[in-house]
Amino acid sequence: MRGFVKWLIGGWIALVIILAFAWAPEMTRPNFGTGTIEPWPSFRIVFFHVPAAWISVLAFTVSMLWSIAVLRKPTRERDDRAMASAELGFLFCSLALITGMVWARNDWGAYWNWDPRQTSVLILLLIYGGYFTLRSAVAEPLRRSRLAAVYSIVAFVTMPFLVFIVPRIMFSLHPSPIIQAGQGKGSMDPKMRTVFFMSLAGFTGLYIWMLSMRVRLERLAREVRAL
Amino acid sequence: MSPLYVVMITVLIIWLGIFLYLIGLDRKLSRLGREMDRK
Repeated sequence: MRGFVKWLIGGWIALVIILAFAWAPEMTRPNFGTGTIEPWPSFRIVFFHVPAAWISVLAFTVSMLWSIAVLRKPTRERDDRAMASAELGFLFCSLALITGMVWARNDWGAYWNWDPRQTSVLILLLIYGGYFTLRSAVAEPLRRSRLAAVYSIVAFVTMPFLVFIVPRIMFSLHPSPIIQAGQGKGSMDPKMRTVFFMSLAGFTGLYIWMLSMRVRLERLAREVRAL
Repeated sequence: MSPLYVVMITVLIIWLGIFLYLIGLDRKLSRLGREMDRK
């Protein structure tokens, strides 16, 4: 990745942060207790929480695709990419969980509520935690890459179920169904939508940059071990 | 100052820290990669 692209990613995300707080209009919500409409400042976390969650889905998908490639023809580079992407998926998924907890503290009164969405994401993190445990438990590289590839594919199968299905079939306090039920899909304000998609693009760029760095780090570590 | 701007500045400072750390790490990796290629 060229040097100016990295600075562009940095500047882009900084711009997203400024626009998210200073340009995007304030969201309101009904207070069913008093029957009034009140401001909803914590809604701005959506500009960082949802892109983090989406990048985790993207990263786990990329990891699964590289894992399939490993099973077809095992190479260290393919295994590095599968592992690096799973690590970043774990990182972004943790970020989504943490930002969600901050939201929950503000809106639901507690950081942790055992909401289906929170619980299913925690289970997903534990499943991918098992992936790293497996990798650290097997010393022989070829065997490790094959076992990890199989685990990554199986872990990926659980992801759509845990991220998309469970929160929809169980009652959840998570805002998206509430917003969509009240206002219909795609009702986000145009300014908010702009900032949201800018954030999504910025997070994607950050993921690609971090992935390339992690792969390079792994290659260097391997070369140093071989000296 | 509005609490919203306080949060914005805090998030910006956190992002600046993360970004500068990543830039530093990237440069270190590039330098190490070049040295390894030379050897």
